[in-house]
Amino acid sequence: MQRNIVIAGYARSPFQFAHKGALTKVRPDEMAAQVVRGLLDRTGVDPAGIEDLIVGCAFPEGEQGLNVARLIGFLADLPLGVAGMTVNRFCGSSMQAMHIAAGAIQMNAGEAFICAGVESMSRVPMAGFNPMLHPDLAERFPAAYISMGETAENVADKYQIDRTRQDAFAVESHRRATAAQSAGKLSDEIVPIRQGNHTIDTDGCVRADTTAEALAGLKPAFKTGGTVTAGTASPLTDGASAVLVTTEDFAKANGLAPLARIRAVAVAGCGPEIMGIGPVVASQKALVRAGVKVSDIDIVELNEAFAAQSLACIAELGLDPDRINLDGGAIALGHPLGATGARITGKAAALLKREGKSLALATQCIGGGQGIATVLEAA
Amino acid sequence: MKIERAAVIGAGVMGSGIAAHLANAGVPVMLLDIPTDNGAGRNGRAEGAIQRMLKADPAPFMSKRAAKLVTPGNTEDDLARLSETDWIIEVVVEDLAVKQDLYNKIEAVRREGSIVSSNTSTLPLAKLIDGMTERFARDFLITHFFNPPRYMRLLEIVAGGHTRPEAVSGISDFCDRRLGKGIVMCRDTPGFVANRIGSFWLQCAAIEAIDHKLSVEEADAVMGRPLGIPKTGLFGLLDLVGLDLMPKVDASLAGALPQDDAYHGIRRPWPLLDKLIAEGYTGRKGKGGFYRLNKDDGGRVKEAIDLTTGNYAPAAKPALESLQLGKAAGLMGLVEHGDRGGRYAWAVLSQVLSYAATHVQEIADTVWDVDRAMQLGYAWKYGPFELIDRLGAAYIAERLKAEGKDVPALLATAAKAGAFYRVHEGRKQFLTATGDYAEIPRADGCLLLEDIKRASQAIKKNGSASLWDIGDGVICLEVHTKLNTIDTDVFAILDTAIKTVEKSEEYKALVIYNEGTHFSAGANLGLALFAANTGLWPMIEGMVEQGQKAYRRMKYAEFPVVAAPSGLALGGGCEILLNSDAVQAHAESYVGLVEAGVGVIPAWGGCVELLHRFAQDPKRPRGPMPPVVSAFETIGMAKVAKSAFEAQETGFLRAGDEITFNRERLLADAKAKALSLAEGYAPPEPIELTLPGPSGKTTLAFAVRDLLAKGVATPHDEAVADALADVLSGGPKADMTAPVSEKEILALERAAFMKMVRTEPTLARMEHTLTTGKPLRN
Repeated sequence: MQRNIVIAGYARSPFQFAHKGALTKVRPDEMAAQVVRGLLDRTGVDPAGIEDLIVGCAFPEGEQGLNVARLIGFLADLPLGVAGMTVNRFCGSSMQAMHIAAGAIQMNAGEAFICAGVESMSRVPMAGFNPMLHPDLAERFPAAYISMGETAENVADKYQIDRTRQDAFAVESHRRATAAQSAGKLSDEIVPIRQGNHTIDTDGCVRADTTAEALAGLKPAFKTGGTVTAGTASPLTDGASAVLVTTEDFAKANGLAPLARIRAVAVAGCGPEIMGIGPVVASQKALVRAGVKVSDIDIVELNEAFAAQSLACIAELGLDPDRINLDGGAIALGHPLGATGARITGKAAALLKREGKSLALATQCIGGGQGIATVLEAA
Repeated sequence: MKIERAAVIGAGVMGSGIAAHLANAGVPVMLLDIPTDNGAGRNGRAEGAIQRMLKADPAPFMSKRAAKLVTPGNTEDDLARLSETDWIIEVVVEDLAVKQDLYNKIEAVRREGSIVSSNTSTLPLAKLIDGMTERFARDFLITHFFNPPRYMRLLEIVAGGHTRPEAVSGISDFCDRRLGKGIVMCRDTPGFVANRIGSFWLQCAAIEAIDHKLSVEEADAVMGRPLGIPKTGLFGLLDLVGLDLMPKVDASLAGALPQDDAYHGIRRPWPLLDKLIAEGYTGRKGKGGFYRLNKDDGGRVKEAIDLTTGNYAPAAKPALESLQLGKAAGLMGLVEHGDRGGRYAWAVLSQVLSYAATHVQEIADTVWDVDRAMQLGYAWKYGPFELIDRLGAAYIAERLKAEGKDVPALLATAAKAGAFYRVHEGRKQFLTATGDYAEIPRADGCLLLEDIKRASQAIKKNGSASLWDIGDGVICLEVHTKLNTIDTDVFAILDTAIKTVEKSEEYKALVIYNEGTHFSAGANLGLALFAANTGLWPMIEGMVEQGQKAYRRMKYAEFPVVAAPSGLALGGGCEILLNSDAVQAHAESYVGLVEAGVGVIPAWGGCVELLHRFAQDPKRPRGPMPPVVSAFETIGMAKVAKSAFEAQETGFLRAGDEITFNRERLLADAKAKALSLAEGYAPPEPIELTLPGPSGKTTLAFAVRDLLAKGVATPHDEAVADALADVLSGGPKADMTAPVSEKEILALERAAFMKMVRTEPTLARMEHTLTTGKPLRN
C-alpha cells in the first residue's frame, strides 16, 4: 500500500442479550451515536478532520434504517461537513466499513474516517420486518436462504466437529471473557451507554459459571440429533462499536496514538450452506496479500458465530488456539451482527499494542457464504 | 364505596391467589408477608409467591400485565402504606392471637372508612372482633374465597352485628361486579355454608365407601357423574386439595360444632389417611394420594390405592351394575339399585341431604343460598336441595321413615309442598322455611337466558340453536349442541335471526350467547369426518361455503351483532367473534383458531379477519409481512388465549371489546353493548389487504423448514402450514402492489381447507381428536 493506514482508536458499547438485556430499550441509532461520541472524546480527534462516518449494519431498517450513519452523525453532534454512509455485508458490515475507509484513503479520498457498526437485535429482528424471499431462487438454490443454525450443523458434519469439542470451546470462551472482565481488561474499550437516569457499562452475556456439564445438558437448537446448541452459538445481542481509521500522517499530526497499522484486507465467497468456513479463504487471501504466513500471526480475533465453525476454521487455517480470542469471543461476549467487525478488528489492534506483538488477524464468517479478513501489524 | 387500591396480608396459596385476582380486575394490590432474612430480600415471601404464580398452571393471573399490579412488601416495612388502601384482606395463619395482633397493627394505620376482611375458614367473626375497637368491628367482615380464587366463583360473606351495612353492600357489589364472584351471605357458624356441607359429605362419603367395601375408583364413579359432582368424585378431590387438609378441617369443625351435630356421628379414626400423609402421599402436590402416577420403567400408569390393604394397583374401570344403568335410569335408578354402588349412593345422599335440610336455616338465609354455595364452591351441578328434588322430597322422607331415621322438618315440609323448587308463572321459586315459595332473587344487571327461556317461547328453534327475544329490541341466538359446536342448523337459525331483525321494526340488534360451559368448541368435526369417510366431498365444501356465507351475512347485516363468549371459543366459535361487530367476553374465555390441530385451516373467514386485525394494528411494523407472520404464527401454532385479556393481547378481541367478570352479568352487558352500537349503526366496509404473494409464502416456508429440522414441527404440520401460507400470503397471483379482496381470500381459505381435508393425516387427526379430545401429532 502506498500510504500507511492506522487504527487510531477503538471503542464499543457494552454487549447485552437482546430482548432481556439492559440495552433492549435503547434505540440503536442512539446507542451507536454515544459510542461514536465516546470514541471522539477518548481519542481527542478533531471531528472537523473526519471525512466520513461509515456504519455497518446487517438489517438496516426500523430504528437502524434510512441512512442510519447520517443520523448517527447528527445524534453524535458531528460537524455537518462529516458525511455518512451505511454499509451492509451482514456480519462483516463494520469490518467492511474499515476496508472502505482504507480504500478511500489509498485513493486519496480522505485522511480520517470513523468506521462504526450497530445492531439492536431486540428492536430489529433478524431478517428484518418484511423478509420477502425470491420464490424462484428459493426453488433453484435454497441454500441462498439457509438458516445460520443449519449452516453450523453442516460445518460440524463436514469437518467432524463433535459436541464435546464445541462445548469445550464455548466453556473456554466464557472462561477467557470472565477472566478479562474481572481483570478490568474490557472496561477500557467500553463506552457506558446512558439511558434516562441510568448507565449501562458492563457486558451482559458472559456467564462466569458455565461448565461443560451444564452445556452438555442443552438440547440441539436447530436440528433433531444435531450438535449445535444455544450454548455453542453466539447469542442474539444488542451493541455498537466504532474505530478511528486514519493515515499514519494524520495520526501523528493530530497527536493520536495508533493501535495498529492495516496491512492487508480481503473478502471471499463460499457455499452459503457452509458459510461458517468463510474466514478460511478470506484469511488466506489477506495473508498472501500481507506477505506473511499463518505461523507469523501472533494475535487472532476470530468471530465465534458458532463453536463448530470456529473450530473448523482453526483447523483449516492451522491457527494456534492460544493466540485466538484472548479476552473471549462472541459466544461469551455476544454478536450484535453489524457491530462485530469493528469490535474484533479494533480489539485485535488493541491487543497487538497491549501484548506488544507484531501481527494480528481479524476474521469472520458472513451469512450467505462469505468471509472477511484484515491483517494488522504493530504501529 | 370505591375500591381503588387493596392489600392482601399473607402470601400463601390463598393470599397470593386473591391478590392475583384483584390484579386481574385491574386493582393495584399490595401483597405483604412477614419479612425474610434469608438473603432473598425482606419481601422474599411475596416476591416468591408472585414468581410462582407466573409459572403456575392453571394460571392465577389472567395476563402477565396483571402481575405488574401486585406490589410485594412485608408486614414490617410496608405496614404504614396500608393507609393508601381501601380494602385490606387478611389471609394469615388460622390463629386467633396472630390475627388479632395483626388487626391491632392494621387498625393503627388504616384510613378512615377502609374495610378490613378476613379469609378465615374456621374462626367465627364474633371471636375475631372480640376485644377489638368499635371502629374496627364496624369496618370488619369475613370474605371467604375458595381455592383457586380466580376460578372458584363462590365468595362467602359473613357480617357481624356491628358491621356497617355499607361495608357489606360495598364489598359484595365490588366482588360481584369486579371479581365476578357469586356472593352467598352466611351466618357466623362453623365452616359457614359450603365447607359445612362439603366436609360432611367428604367424611361421610369416605367412611361409607370403606363400610360398603367400594374401591376408590368405584366410589368416585358413584359420587361423580351420577350426582352431578365433578368427575374427581371424592378421593380424586382429596388428592387435588391435599390429603393433609382433611384432618385439619375435620379437627376444626369437630371442635366448633355442638355435640348433638350429626357431624360427630360420621367421624372415626382413619389410619390409612394418617399413614398416607405421614409418608408424603399428600395428593397431587406430593407423591400421590389415593391415586398416583407410577412412572417406574419409564411408563405412566395410573394406580389407585386399596382402601383395606393400602396397596396400589393399576386403576380399574368400575364394573358396578348400578353404574351401567346410565343416564336413562337416572339418579333414582342408582339409589334404588341393590348392589354396593346403589346402597352406597343412598347411604351418602340420605345423610348429606338430611344434614343440609336440618341445618339450612342455621347457616344461610335460604335453600337457594345453600345450593348456590355448593354449585359455585364445590362445582356441584345440583345443590343438595336440587338433588332432593331430583329424587323427590316425598321419596326421601318416606325412605328415611321406613329406615327408622329422622325426617328433618324442612324435608317434611317440602314433601308436603311437593318440592324445594317450582316454576310459577314462568319464574323459578324456592321453598321458604314457612312452607311458602319465594322468587329466586336476581341482582340488578344480571340477566339470565335461563330465566327468559322459562318465561317465553323461542322465536325460532331447531335441534342446534334457538332464537330468543331478550327485550328492548335485542334478540339472542343460543347454540345448544354438544359443546355448542356449529353445524348447518346453526347457520339456518343465524339466517332467520338476520331476516327477523332486518324485517322487523321491533328488533335492532343480535347477541350470540349461551349458558353452556362453552361458547363453542368450533365446527362439528364429527359431521365433517363422517362426510369425508364416505367421500362426500361436495357436502364438506358445501358446509365450508355455507359457513362463509352465513358469517358474511352476519358481518354485513344492517344491525350490530355482539358475541358474548364464556369458556371455549375455538375454531368456528372463534370465527363468530372475529366476524361480529363487537365482543363482550366473559373474563374466563379461552379463545383460539385451533384448526391446524386437526389438520385444516380456518375457513369461515378466520384467516382474512385475523389478517385484517393485525394489518390494522398500529403497534405492528409496517409492510406486507408483519400481519402475515403474526397470523401465521397464531393460526399455525393453534395458539389459545387463556383469558379474555390474553385474547385481547393476541388480537382475537379488539381494543374496544369489553370484558365482564361475572358470568351472570354477561348477557346484560352484551345486550347493553349491542344497544349502544345500534344507534346510527353502519355495517363495516369489505376488507382489502396488501399481501406479499409468493415471496411471502416462500419466507414462511423457510421458517417452517427450520421448525421441521428442529423437530418442533411434524411433516404434516409442514403440509398444513403450507396450505395456511397459501391463504395468508394472498395466493400465487398476489403482489404487494395490488390489494387482495376479502372475497379472494375467502376463496383461498376454501381451497386450502378442501386440500387438507382430503389428506389421510388430517382425517387421522380429526378422528383422534373426536375420540380422545386431544390433538394427534402426526
